[in-house]
Amino acid sequence: MNYMPGTASLIEDIDKKHLVLLRDGRTLIGFLRSIDQFANLVLHQTVERIHVGKKYGDIPRGIFIVRGENVVLLGEIDLEKESETVLQQVSIEEILEEQRSQQQAKQEAEKAKTQALKDRGLSIPRVDMLDEY
Amino acid sequence: MFRFQSLDEDCTLEEEEGLVEEEDEIDQFNDDTFGAGAIDDDWQEEHARLAELDERDKDAASMHLPASTSQDSLTKTPAPPPSAPPPGLEDQGGGGDLAESLARLILGADPAIAGVGTVKMSDRVAQPQPPPSGLQLQPHSLLSYQQQSQSQHLLHRGTAPMQMNSRSIWESVGFGPVSVTPGLAPHMEDSSLASIMKEVGLPKKPATMRSDERRDLSERVPPPRSCSPVIGSPPVRAAPIGTPPKPPMSHPLNQQIHCPTAVHVRAPVQHRYPPPYPERLSPNTLLNIANSPLCRPPFPAGVGPVLSQIQRAQLLNSQVGPFPRGAPAPPLLHSGGGGFRPFFGQPPPRVGPLPPPNHGSIRHNTTHLHPQHRRLLTQRLQNRSDRGGRTGEHRNRDPYSNLMTQREKDWVARIQMMQLQSTDPYLDDYYYQNYYEKMEKRQETERDSSKKEHTTKLITPQVAKLEHTYRPVQFAGSLGKLTVSSVNNPRKMIDAVVTSRTDDEEKREKQVWNKRRQILYTVEKMYSLLLEVQDFEKKFIQTPEEQRDALLEQHKSHTVQLYNTLREREWDDRVSDEQCLMIMSVRKGKRLVSRLLPFLPQPQAAAVIMAIARNLPALAKKDKQDQVLCWLVEPVAAVIQSMSSSALTDLLQELQGSEGQLPRVLQNKFGVTLLYLILSEGERMQSSDTNCQLMDDNRWTELVFSVTRKLLEVPPASLSPPLFTPPNLLSLFSRYVDRQRLEQLQEKLQISALSR
Repeated sequence: MNYMPGTASLIEDIDKKHLVLLRDGRTLIGFLRSIDQFANLVLHQTVERIHVGKKYGDIPRGIFIVRGENVVLLGEIDLEKESETVLQQVSIEEILEEQRSQQQAKQEAEKAKTQALKDRGLSIPRVDMLDEY
Repeated sequence: MFRFQSLDEDCTLEEEEGLVEEEDEIDQFNDDTFGAGAIDDDWQEEHARLAELDERDKDAASMHLPASTSQDSLTKTPAPPPSAPPPGLEDQGGGGDLAESLARLILGADPAIAGVGTVKMSDRVAQPQPPPSGLQLQPHSLLSYQQQSQSQHLLHRGTAPMQMNSRSIWESVGFGPVSVTPGLAPHMEDSSLASIMKEVGLPKKPATMRSDERRDLSERVPPPRSCSPVIGSPPVRAAPIGTPPKPPMSHPLNQQIHCPTAVHVRAPVQHRYPPPYPERLSPNTLLNIANSPLCRPPFPAGVGPVLSQIQRAQLLNSQVGPFPRGAPAPPLLHSGGGGFRPFFGQPPPRVGPLPPPNHGSIRHNTTHLHPQHRRLLTQRLQNRSDRGGRTGEHRNRDPYSNLMTQREKDWVARIQMMQLQSTDPYLDDYYYQNYYEKMEKRQETERDSSKKEHTTKLITPQVAKLEHTYRPVQFAGSLGKLTVSSVNNPRKMIDAVVTSRTDDEEKREKQVWNKRRQILYTVEKMYSLLLEVQDFEKKFIQTPEEQRDALLEQHKSHTVQLYNTLREREWDDRVSDEQCLMIMSVRKGKRLVSRLLPFLPQPQAAAVIMAIARNLPALAKKDKQDQVLCWLVEPVAAVIQSMSSSALTDLLQELQGSEGQLPRVLQNKFGVTLLYLILSEGERMQSSDTNCQLMDDNRWTELVFSVTRKLLEVPPASLSPPLFTPPNLLSLFSRYVDRQRLEQLQEKLQISALSR
């Protein structure tokens, strides 16, 4: 805001801890170190956080350089509030396991749904494929 | 022919003569380039050899380095870095002429390489065994420098024509000897190729990386970007648009001019801030300190890559004094806002003092913003700085902060600001401007309802409009069009000339279309003028004082122009019926006129309305949908109210016009409305101003009489309901008609009012 009054700019967010949501669904948390005019981000001490239900797990990733077009949204993390989270942190293996089971459950549900639709002679295209275009 | 300028006497001149005679017709230069005169030695060889020489020169000084490796390489590979020729020559002395000449023929003109060849030949010829040890040859190499000239003579004696030619060519160009290192000088003297090297300068090999001297890779200058050719293209920048600013370079030590990748050894950097913590810290304390600000270290406790890298960074970054070599011992810390420089990443070195962390102290260019907006933002800034003061201390502890320098931040901000620049804010950002204007107005009315003064609005200046006329690249003296086309000047591929067809029938058909098109065209042009006129007020406020007169003039001329299009002829001030009709026949034209009327001066506006009234039936016919004409009601009403009595009378007369016009007028909604307007205005005049001239002549009275008569005659069905009925009509009629008729009229009009 200092630099770009009346506009949204990331310059004020530099060196602060951010949560970045990418287009592929990943959630990254890291310190925003550098930006450019395309909103490409340099994240430092990045952690990929996987959320499943009330649990989450962190995978340390190091430095990320994210191309701006792949960012859905990002926001500053309030460090005080971060410590008051209700979510429970678990180990990486556990969260990956949870994620796997969640994906599996989702797939099975999807499969059942498409099967049911097929039985009735209907077909609905998958929404996630649309993103490719 | 300068070919014969050789120093060689033993050369068989007869042979050469013969050769030359045959080649008499050959182009000299051609031959020199491609034929026997050309130098066909391997420049890479030459370079390597000379580089080798350079090093040897240094080695010669030390005198103790064994050159066995170089000797080995010599024998194994005939072409690459050869040692100095003299050793070989030294070995063989004056003998082995056959070998010499053969070598020269094979390896080309350069005496140095030829010398090498001779070494090998002689070695192979004389000594099939592996070459003597390095030590043995070493003194030879030393000696060779002393006996350069001798060896040269030896060479010259047996030189082949090729070699001579090469030498002579270079001589003819006129390279003189340049002083070089003493060891090389005598050798170089006669070798003209080498002299060229001197001129150009020996490209030094980049110094080998030694393990103890770790170079900071972050300061390496990237190779210059290649740019596309300029012709016709948009201007090439030295660095393409997307390039981030180069970090401020510390003075480069050992900068290689010719080496494309200059690797700098970083100069000592002064630290700007007094370090908040003690200079020397153990790695553990360092760990603790670094960890605390990063509230939740993303890395599990066991892994500490961050900190070990910090340590490494310390090794690299210790400023003054020698680098601590491979020591994990307490590293010298220089902290402060940006003292840490991690090993990875490419942080720019900071040489000078940086501005303090941006805490609202920086004023940026907000001139393009609305003042109201600016006020809001400064308020916000203050709030932020109040809040930010507390968290600022934490920021100081962050070892990786300010990786992005102020300069880079400014650069990004500047790019984003550029997008906001506008030469015409009302065009580019209409809603923003209007919104703030409204807000200001509202605030004004709220704030100073007591004060009636009109505070002048200060609207900030915008970027001046710069007209860049692009002229395509033109080549003088070229034939025809050149295929230089770029994004700015796309080339016209075909010169198509339009020829009109002279078909009569088509003409007639087209005439109709053309007419319509012409009308539309006229309307369009008038519209653009009208828009200018309408925007005049806004522009007027914006322009500075000096230019206001000019603007005013422009405004006037616009309005005059607008009126002119309605006129019949240049000198005739009357409104052209035909023209008016034409314009009004199009819906857009009607709209145009309705918007135009407020801007015309009174007499002209009145004239326009007269024309409308005169031609109302025709217009009405063309305008089946009544709604369109009704747009004219408002402006017309405004004009009527400002009309004089005589004009009003005239208008009424026009409206009635020829026989049978009035009924048709009455059929049309607009017509009826217009009539009512006129009548009501007349009534108002009469009732308000007793001295009114309306009654001076009988015209008005008579007209009203006829109107009332017609109104009564006309069947109710054909009486169109007006848009509105002025209230004073009744009083008007009461003056002129008797009671019975009045009642009739009342009924009719009321009926019409009800049927609306």
